[in-house]
Amino acid sequence: MFDAEKFIEKAVPKLREEIQGRALIAFSGGVDSTVCAALVNQAVGDQLIAVHVDTGYMRKNESEHVKKMMSSMRLNFRFVDASKDFYDALKGVEDPEKKRKIIGNKFIRCFEKVAKDEKIKCLVQGTIAPDWIESGGELRDTIKSHHNVGGLPEDMELRLVEPLRDLYKDEVRKVARVLGLSVSERQPFPGPGLAIRVIGEATLEKTEIVREACDIVEKEIERAVEKGLMERPWQYFAVLIPIKTVGVHGDKRAYGYTIAVRAVQSVDAMTCKYSDISHEVLDDISTKITNTLGDKINRIVYDITNKPPGTVEWE
Amino acid sequence: MVRIYVVDNGGQWTHREWRTLRDLEVDTKIVPNTISFTDLLKDNVDGLVLSGGAPRIGLESDLGNCSEYLEKAGFPILGICAGHQFMARFFGGEVEPSKVPEFGKIELTLLKEKDMLFEGVSKKSIVWESHNDEVTLLPNEFELLAESENCKIQAMRHKKKPFYGLQFHPEVEHTEYGERIFKNFVKICRK
Repeated sequence: MFDAEKFIEKAVPKLREEIQGRALIAFSGGVDSTVCAALVNQAVGDQLIAVHVDTGYMRKNESEHVKKMMSSMRLNFRFVDASKDFYDALKGVEDPEKKRKIIGNKFIRCFEKVAKDEKIKCLVQGTIAPDWIESGGELRDTIKSHHNVGGLPEDMELRLVEPLRDLYKDEVRKVARVLGLSVSERQPFPGPGLAIRVIGEATLEKTEIVREACDIVEKEIERAVEKGLMERPWQYFAVLIPIKTVGVHGDKRAYGYTIAVRAVQSVDAMTCKYSDISHEVLDDISTKITNTLGDKINRIVYDITNKPPGTVEWE
Repeated sequence: MVRIYVVDNGGQWTHREWRTLRDLEVDTKIVPNTISFTDLLKDNVDGLVLSGGAPRIGLESDLGNCSEYLEKAGFPILGICAGHQFMARFFGGEVEPSKVPEFGKIELTLLKEKDMLFEGVSKKSIVWESHNDEVTLLPNEFELLAESENCKIQAMRHKKKPFYGLQFHPEVEHTEYGERIFKNFVKICRK
């Protein structure tokens, strides 16, 4: 079995060796990057600068929350608001692979800018096994380009350090628990964020809709879990499908987009089953979303696809 | 400590195979399918897992040096998905595109329960699949061990050598007896 304590014992001195001088860590505030930051912090302390980029595609209040977390972990950090930049770069882009590559590229450019100002040559990333497996290369087919692997620009100047490369999420969580990090049980959230939860072009308008819908799905499911109505899914969120359907709101015709609710059970994201959510809970989610989002959304569907053949996220 | 290497044919779950073996305290590592048989012998391996991968075995000719391993090995080999299909074709069987490709959850039925690889596995169990092609003709020297509704050759073994082929994926979390099957394979390698 995977031994988290042994892993930490080996990883810290190895990081000390790998990181000469100062290093920058790409810090999203999820389990992987937080564990990475804690390990590097143990290894080189003040030599580390954590950088969080607000892409504009974060979940509701997420970047604020991350700011607080970086302070509480006593990390030396920089906060970059690049939302305008990201929205501009994704304007008119519909293809999911193009979206992922543009996002990967933008992230690196943000980090390079900080690195240049601070004279840093080394970038630490919380890349885990499914990221590079699904990104493909050589013999392996590309399922999707994870922003931190397949989305990296070729002319990147920073040297990569990825201490979690051979780990899966359940193992990273074990390390997080040993390190006493509060994020250990947090659900995964992809680096490209809500940009890949809006199918097709991720405009500000559609992103605001899916941000609200994701928040509702999270809160309703967490409430149901607390009430003991269901097991906590591995990941649970909303996807905006840019297809309009007809509805009726207060005796008037409505014509709005569709929201798909996705919730899956998994251990490592390499295979998943869709979650068995009761109709009562689905009903609460559906009513809450349609009543909150008014004329923007008038149809909710539940995704009942396993992985394979589906993947967790839709893009 | 038993030493079993995972030969990487480019599968999405190659690394999962490595992880399952590592969790069973096997001395394991992932090696490219271009590694020579001599190098494997130098490392004194006790067994090999041939991973799955994107190559269409029925349509393409090679899978790195896998044919060399199958020709020369005296130690046990477990072929999974594309690895299984390649093994079948190497020994004279046929591989074709599946009439009904299987993805995700499928019910497996054991046809020969006493085989060591399936010790402790129920006659019917849930396995996870992901294939476009399948073995359609069993090689002469092999016997059939399991089937599913839409794929008649889900598991096979060589009659004289410790070579096994599985169309389904025992390495993934959602295959009910996956770890058990790996444990049995480790036992076979230890013999």
